Amino acid sequence: MGLFDMMGISASALSAERQRAEVTSANLANAETTHTDSGGPYVRKEVVFSASNMSPFSTVLNRLGRFGHAPAGSVQLTQVVEDTTPPVMRYEPGNPDADKNGMVAYPAINPVTEMVDLMGAVRSYQLNASAVTAAKQMIQQSIDILKSS
Amino acid sequence: MATTTPLMQLLQGYLKVTSDRQQTIASNMANVDTPGYHTKDVNFQTAMQQVVEEGNNARLAPASTEVQGLPERPDGNNVNIDRESLLLGETQLQYQMAVQLIKSEFHRLLTAIKEGS
Repeated sequence: MGLFDMMGISASALSAERQRAEVTSANLANAETTHTDSGGPYVRKEVVFSASNMSPFSTVLNRLGRFGHAPAGSVQLTQVVEDTTPPVMRYEPGNPDADKNGMVAYPAINPVTEMVDLMGAVRSYQLNASAVTAAKQMIQQSIDILKSS
Repeated sequence: MATTTPLMQLLQGYLKVTSDRQQTIASNMANVDTPGYHTKDVNFQTAMQQVVEEGNNARLAPASTEVQGLPERPDGNNVNIDRESLLLGETQLQYQMAVQLIKSEFHRLLTAIKEGS
């Protein structure tokens, strides 16, 4: 069913963009975090998107095996990678996380970059939400054929 | 006696092609942030011909081709949001038109039935 597949594709994008916004929010929230479970400051994270380009045959097989599988042409968040930028050192001798020189490692997070990324995620979310609305209207129109004119 | 007219069969194919195209547009919109993704589109002429020739045998996936001549961003993606939004609206109206024509065709058939009694 073309129209329901269309909704599935848009839904995959909504989910991916929401996860991107979540990761960006986590970066913003932890911009000043100097202490984590693994030791050291918080490390900035980035998302990696990829298009699922399955051949039609495997798409059909997947649909037989698992119900509600994302149709071909949808987008997936494949992994969350860590930014390798070295931490920013600040001189704060009173901080319990300071080293012997009195320097504290802060995560290399620029709030402006994160805000721009967050805005991009929100706009992409809106774009795909409008595609879902279009699909819903088209399905409704198809149902309207049944109504007596 | 067949209750589906040739026009209705043609419109049925048209609905299939437009919904396939809409699916391709949705896919382009979904991959607006995917690095290296290239914009795809359905060739109306080829798709319509295929639907008319194959009749009711549903195809597995829309036959989509990559669109040439769109400028690429530095990350290798060439999805243009304005183009996709415009096509989304356009295809939706085309679909609506086909639905209206099918409704009027059914209405015509109903009129023929009622006039008989």
